[in-house]
Amino acid sequence: MMPTSTENQGINYGAILVISIAVGVDIFFSVLMAHWSYSWFPVQASSAAPYVDSLFSLETGIGTFIFLGCTGVMAWVILFNRAPKYDEVNGDPIEGNIKLEIVWTVIPLLLVLAIAAYSINVNNTLSTLGPKQKYRVGDNPAALVSMDPKSTVGPIEVIARQWSWEFVYPDGVRSSELHLPVDQRVNFRLISEDVLHSFYVPAFRLKQDIVPGSVISYSLTPTREGRYRLRDAMFSGAYFSQNQTDVIVESEKSFADWLDLSAKQPLQPGLDPSQPLYQRRLAKGDKGWATVPPSPPPLVNDPGNPSAPHEA
Amino acid sequence: MTTSNSEVTLKHTPGHIKHDGHNLTGFIIFLCSESIIFLAFFAAYIVLKLTSPEWLPEGVNGLSIRMPLINTVVLVSSSFVAYLAERYLHKRNLWGFRTVWLLTMAMGSYFVYGQYVEWSELAFGLNSGVFGGTFYLLTGFHGLHVITGIALMALMLFRSFLPGNYEKGEAGVISVSLFWHFVDVIWIILFVLIYIWQ
Amino acid sequence: MSISNYDARILKAPHPVPGAPDNWKRFFSFNTDAKVIGIQYIVTSLFFLLVGGLLAMVIRGELITPPADLVDPTVYNGLYTMHGTVMLFLFLFPILNGFNNLLIPTMIGAPDMAFPKLNAAAFWLVPVFAIVLMASFFVPGGPASSGWWSYPPMSLQNPLGRFFNGEMLWITAVALSGISSIFGAINFVTTIIRMRAPGMGFFRMPIFIWTAWAAQTIQLLGLPALTGGAIMLLFDLSFGTTFFRPEGGGDPVLFQHFFWFYSHPAVYVLILPIFGIFSELFPVYARKPLFGYKVVALASFGITVLSLIVWVHHMFYSGTPQWMRNVFMLTTMLIAVPTGIKVFAWIATLWRGKIRLTTPMLFCLGGLFNFIFAGITGVMLATVPIDVHVGNTYFVVAHFHYVIFNTIGFGVFAGIYHWFPKFTGRMYYEGLGKIHFVLTFIGATLNFLPLHWAGLLGMPRRVASYDPEFAIWNVIASLGAFILGVASIPFILNMISSWARGPKAPPNPWKAIGLEWLLPSPPPAENFEDDIPTVINGPYGYGLGKPLVDDEEFYIRRANEA
Repeated sequence: MMPTSTENQGINYGAILVISIAVGVDIFFSVLMAHWSYSWFPVQASSAAPYVDSLFSLETGIGTFIFLGCTGVMAWVILFNRAPKYDEVNGDPIEGNIKLEIVWTVIPLLLVLAIAAYSINVNNTLSTLGPKQKYRVGDNPAALVSMDPKSTVGPIEVIARQWSWEFVYPDGVRSSELHLPVDQRVNFRLISEDVLHSFYVPAFRLKQDIVPGSVISYSLTPTREGRYRLRDAMFSGAYFSQNQTDVIVESEKSFADWLDLSAKQPLQPGLDPSQPLYQRRLAKGDKGWATVPPSPPPLVNDPGNPSAPHEA
Repeated sequence: MTTSNSEVTLKHTPGHIKHDGHNLTGFIIFLCSESIIFLAFFAAYIVLKLTSPEWLPEGVNGLSIRMPLINTVVLVSSSFVAYLAERYLHKRNLWGFRTVWLLTMAMGSYFVYGQYVEWSELAFGLNSGVFGGTFYLLTGFHGLHVITGIALMALMLFRSFLPGNYEKGEAGVISVSLFWHFVDVIWIILFVLIYIWQ
Repeated sequence: MSISNYDARILKAPHPVPGAPDNWKRFFSFNTDAKVIGIQYIVTSLFFLLVGGLLAMVIRGELITPPADLVDPTVYNGLYTMHGTVMLFLFLFPILNGFNNLLIPTMIGAPDMAFPKLNAAAFWLVPVFAIVLMASFFVPGGPASSGWWSYPPMSLQNPLGRFFNGEMLWITAVALSGISSIFGAINFVTTIIRMRAPGMGFFRMPIFIWTAWAAQTIQLLGLPALTGGAIMLLFDLSFGTTFFRPEGGGDPVLFQHFFWFYSHPAVYVLILPIFGIFSELFPVYARKPLFGYKVVALASFGITVLSLIVWVHHMFYSGTPQWMRNVFMLTTMLIAVPTGIKVFAWIATLWRGKIRLTTPMLFCLGGLFNFIFAGITGVMLATVPIDVHVGNTYFVVAHFHYVIFNTIGFGVFAGIYHWFPKFTGRMYYEGLGKIHFVLTFIGATLNFLPLHWAGLLGMPRRVASYDPEFAIWNVIASLGAFILGVASIPFILNMISSWARGPKAPPNPWKAIGLEWLLPSPPPAENFEDDIPTVINGPYGYGLGKPLVDDEEFYIRRANEA
């Protein structure tokens, strides 16, 4: 990272060797970290996940190189450039170096421009976010947004409440857990009936806020079968942390079977994770600070199985 | 300092000179900052007007422009009158300054009265959706500034009777005058946004 | 003992002379001396650092196990909201205004601030809104509990339906804090523009002055937008308007724009003066001129300009259209350039220096170390696809605390130790200072580093309970938090005992260059009084052999005699 001193006439082979070794070690650890970073994520379960993980790995690599480079110089300075006790002399009065300053302005500039350009490309490839349409409270939002033309499944309505989730499929089936067929682009209509929520599935690496008064068209493609956690990621009040459910990604056939089976089930109260806590609070004399009561549980065909273990 | 340093003292700058005369700088900085609040409200108005699914409350078709237009003419011309007062003061014609300054205050007060009459005749209130909210917020916040301006002018008028008030300069009157022009410019933008763009 | 036993100048100084009658009273009065106000700010904000820290202890205590078992979730929400609010509005902003008050006049050779009474008014608003904020703990329903963002419509729900509720008091307190900050900003900017010593052109100002100016410019341009948003929020909450309520045609996302237009730059308001402290201290303790002074100075305003056009990166997943995400990703990433310039300049300043590892230098080095890390995670967060995954998770909490505590907090401590002798007239104890540093560094790293992994795995922020897979990271974090709590003990001990009975400080204990070091310790009420020096050289002439001011010997002699 740092220049060799310019005061020596001729080539300082020792310094070049030390710097080459340092850069080599730095590159080695940067590549190592970049590979290691893949293990910090949950399983990859959507088409977005490989892009996110590789972008993160790239930035981890570059970041490690810069971090070790800078802190390595700091460590060197602390170890070898210490002033002895009672030594009051000054260091070299170097006031600047135009060439060096240009280098460390231009290189970061090019780096961030490259990362930004690549990210814009990824954004366009995924194109998860469709139109966002405001509606008058009381109107039916579903009619306002047409189906995303690239999607083959949907639109599935996602209704977020304080504090429960409800999913309505095109054939009218309602559920508390989100069922999706694998390898198909699914279109959602995101709706909130009270406050801000956020539709976040870590295994998908995707998150979209749900805004009351607006309906948002959102699309994604699950790529791996399994049971994953869907978390509300926008603070939504007292029992915010309970506002979770599962996404079940399954084969096209099991998805169709599940839809058929569920259609025959009568409507019943769905998952309502905050209710037991709220009842416990009331039983204890409603102590604690103020909260709105949880909204009543949604009526669904399939209330799901909250005790099933999730993969991520 | 002791006298032994007197020859040194001459080479240095005395500190007390630097205490005064920053009021105008400070006031201009304040106005720049204050204008951002209005910009924020204007931005809110524009965004809500363009995107809200329900804008005008039921039974309201728009705003009448006649009365506010007269008000606008009065307020805008009062800015020129304030400038005239400043010129009088600059030439140390104190009675000229006081008379014209009072006229500015009167025009400002007429504007406030006009606003009051308009508010009392409107068919919608603060709680009539985003239209009512932004309308009263913008005109109310501006009206508050007009009233503040009139109060500041009254203060300046009172101070013009204090002997030796202008020995250190006219920063007070210049600042208040600047504030008045600022309130005026804000009103022009507000008038265009609320009354012209319907 | 009578007052006459004391030198009149020392009596006017902001340091309570032991035994001198009524000397402490000035700190509880409407004193207009910037140095008294500076110490008022710093002591008040350190008290609230303890309050905010105590709230953090409860938060980390709750999060040490997955279920919500220590406090009710509603209480947890209130506590974390108040933790953020106290730390930002009652610790960081006031303490940096304390530094501004102590350093701006002394560093530029001014006798005081441009508007001393406004200055005192700005300070006294701090206890006023502190009381308003603390009072909200005791109103029915508890304090505000919608996070320091206070996003509507959640913040407007007002479950008990009372007029005086925690949220209402919270908005009032934030608005008062805004007024105080604007008063301060007008004062600081006017002082810097108008009251510099003769010969101190813009490119002879210390970098701290540059960064304070750049930061206060952000206050002036950004803060009114938040004030506007807060007024509208208050109207929605208390007077029935619907600016941000969907029923009635309002737009909740509009508030997010107002909030972040100021609150993202607010982080730069906090960190720019810390960049200033780094730029002051590295040359002193490396005994070298600051590398690339002019570029470092101008980069401050580069950051100011960019900071005002990045706010939407907090809303990448709020339904923001694609083109807007792309634009704001680019502007956000560009901030890495001027920031990088500064970081590289500091490292180049250290290179081949004569390093002295005093407590302030340790905090500077630790802060720089953490900041490089925070900068890298910052670029990650600016990358839209990554942000869509880690946004609103503990990754953001970790990044934010790496900036706000591990960098800004460290810089604050560095500044306190470095200028402690100057403004109290006493030396601090180096040993306790080093213990404070080691505990703080270990605690902060254990606390905030593991949270990155919790976030990458998908743990949302602001949760009172979480899935068991995140437990390990939270246990380590809580352990770190408790170490941080312990770290405050040597600090408090050091400050109190040093101020009361530390060894007397010479005018320039660090052999530093700068106008403030030409003053006696502590400086008299009007600093240079009737002898404002004429600046003849740049601020970092270490090893260059050029005097800072005309007739430097006179000032050194006078400071030593005082």
